[in-house]
Amino acid sequence: MVPPQYYLLLAAAVFCIGVFGLLTRRNALLFLMSVELMLNAANINLVAFSYYWGNVTGQTFGLFTMALAAAEVAIGIGIILVLYRNFHEIDVTEATTMRW
Amino acid sequence: MAGIFDFGPAIVLLPFLSFLIAVGTALSGRDLLPKGGAIPGIAATAGSLVLSIAMAAAVAGGEVYDETIYTWAVGAVPGSTGLELTFGLLIDPLSSMMLVIVTLVALLVHVFSLGYMNDDGQTGLPRYYAGLGLFTASMLGFVVADNLLMAFMFFELVGLCSYLLIGFHFREPGPPSAAKKAFLVTRFGDYFFLVGVVAVFATFGTAQFVGTEAAPGFPVLAEQALHGEFAANTFLGLAPQAWFTVVGLLVLGGVIGKSAQFPLHTWLPDAMEGPTPVSALIHAATMVAAGVYLVARMYGFYAVSPTALGVIALVGGFTALFAGTMGIVKRELKQVLAYSTISQYGYMMLALGAGGYVAATFHLLTHAFFKALLFLGAGSVILAMHHNENMWDMGGLKDKMPVTYYSFLAGSLALAGIFPFAGFWSKDEILFETLIHGLNGQPLLLIGYVFGLLAVPVTAFYTFRMVFLTFHGDARTEQAESPESVRWNVKGPLAVLGVLATVAGAVNLAPVRVLTGAHVDFLHAWLDGGFSDLTVHHYEEIGPYSSAYIGGEVTTVLLGAAVSLGLALLGLGLAYRLYAVPEPVEHTDKLGAAKDLLYDNYYQDEYQVYLANRVVLPLARAADTFDQGVVDGAVNAVSSVSLFSGSRIRRIQTGVVSNYAALVTLGLTALLVVFGVLGGWLL
Repeated sequence: MVPPQYYLLLAAAVFCIGVFGLLTRRNALLFLMSVELMLNAANINLVAFSYYWGNVTGQTFGLFTMALAAAEVAIGIGIILVLYRNFHEIDVTEATTMRW
Repeated sequence: MAGIFDFGPAIVLLPFLSFLIAVGTALSGRDLLPKGGAIPGIAATAGSLVLSIAMAAAVAGGEVYDETIYTWAVGAVPGSTGLELTFGLLIDPLSSMMLVIVTLVALLVHVFSLGYMNDDGQTGLPRYYAGLGLFTASMLGFVVADNLLMAFMFFELVGLCSYLLIGFHFREPGPPSAAKKAFLVTRFGDYFFLVGVVAVFATFGTAQFVGTEAAPGFPVLAEQALHGEFAANTFLGLAPQAWFTVVGLLVLGGVIGKSAQFPLHTWLPDAMEGPTPVSALIHAATMVAAGVYLVARMYGFYAVSPTALGVIALVGGFTALFAGTMGIVKRELKQVLAYSTISQYGYMMLALGAGGYVAATFHLLTHAFFKALLFLGAGSVILAMHHNENMWDMGGLKDKMPVTYYSFLAGSLALAGIFPFAGFWSKDEILFETLIHGLNGQPLLLIGYVFGLLAVPVTAFYTFRMVFLTFHGDARTEQAESPESVRWNVKGPLAVLGVLATVAGAVNLAPVRVLTGAHVDFLHAWLDGGFSDLTVHHYEEIGPYSSAYIGGEVTTVLLGAAVSLGLALLGLGLAYRLYAVPEPVEHTDKLGAAKDLLYDNYYQDEYQVYLANRVVLPLARAADTFDQGVVDGAVNAVSSVSLFSGSRIRRIQTGVVSNYAALVTLGLTALLVVFGVLGGWLL
């Protein structure tokens, strides 16, 4: 059995890649992808601990998270479409009308 | 059990009903009622008078009544049984007597108003009668009040009505300003009264004048507290005795304002701007009596505080003389009467302070009659003179208005204290009580006695100066040559009051009792009935005074009466010498600067205005500066800090999503680090 540390390291690495993408990219689609990465890092943890403790609850939650991620993407794509319609691009740093 | 006392509230509510009717008429703006709304007022006061007499008859039969009608607030006070604020009715000998006085004078004044206001073609009559109705209702409510708070509320209502009626002719310059002055000056006194009411509640947990064995009224509680039988809450670290004196003096503030005692008397002469019947009703017979009545009502409380009694006696005695001296130089008829009113209420206060409870009540009774009579007589003269009040424009009215003259003369003889008119008996009793209590080692009372005695010739002098100038000699103007005739509605009340002013002294012939032993001091016996805690002998037991005589009681009585009567005759004789001539001249001019001093009221108004301008106004300004600067300043500083920091911090809302993401990430990292350090995983 693979020790849980490896899973945790993998999950941390994926999460950090997601955070890096979120902080550095300007394209809204890449934002969505980065968020997916972060969600899936969490999923890895859930499944890993579930396997480690021999309890399927974690894996069930993993399924829920996937459904949630799908919903999130659906809304995210919708937002990006509206963004494009209003600003004719999907660069998030340009859409700054909602500020002080 | 439906006794006569169950109709008690009706005494107060009837005039209130007439007030509502008159207000409705005034609001409708049309002439709905005959006589401008006077009829409901006359009917209501007549009804109240009948009820009051019935109550007095029941009280004479030995019945008394003390019932709470309505409890309008109940509060729990820590460490006591709780506080009840109530309206209640207290009918005992004192209040039933006062009810009869007030309703009788109110009825006569209503009738007189028919002649003075209606026949004179005045406008705004519904408003006038509404004021009279509300005044009568609130005065009666004050008289029957069974606790101090209710008394205070009606006391204020009475003051409001006084304001409304003084300012009746509100289009002229004088009356509104006089009304404001009256309101403000009496309010100044009432402020202390209010503090006193709260103090009574805080000290005793009740403000009932009389109570049951289990829950006594506050005068009895004060007495028990001094004997150590009741634990009263005292404040300021004072012993019960000293604290009761403080509370008594606070309540006295309201009394001094309302009863126009020095130094808050300045409003009363100005109040003469009101219509003359109003002056008769409010500023002579009833409202001004409210202060004296209040002291009499809670006399058990004052009786346990010798200091408060001393202050009352001294203020009263001083006011009696002080106001009297101003009366001797005035030119207007009503001004003389105004100062004599202040002076006479000074006598009552002197009597109360000197332990002469019966004497004060007696003088209250006789004064109500003869002063209402004098004011109504003055009203009759003023009406005949087409509202010229200057006595130097009158003269020779004796033969042209005989009813007015003879009734006015009866009132003047009573006021001057000439035997056997009503005023002689009551004033003599006041001086007698003060003297015998003062002789027994009370120097304060002896000073008050000297003041009172000196005021006697002054009173007689200004009274008869007024009579001679008005009615005797030759007519000095055309108006006085052919005065307007007055009708029955003026003469009727004058005749009734004239008879009363002559014979009312018979209700308490105390000196006669001393001389002959016959029990003719009816008022004394009357006031000795009712609730055992409110009787004369109870007050004498708890009071600080005892009597001493100059060579026996009979000698003292005769000596006192002879001295006061002699002084009164001296004043009268002087007035006769100087003014009972065909062509009188202003002899007081010979007084020179002293006359100016008297005519300008010892510059009382000036110094009060000076105090207001130079002391109160800067104080108010300083308070305003403190309020604007410190209190508001602190609040404004807090808000400006918020505003400033808000205007800076909002800059982080850049609208760039990446920045938000960076902040969230930084926050998360910071949180993790903090947890790590606190949890001991890091470092």
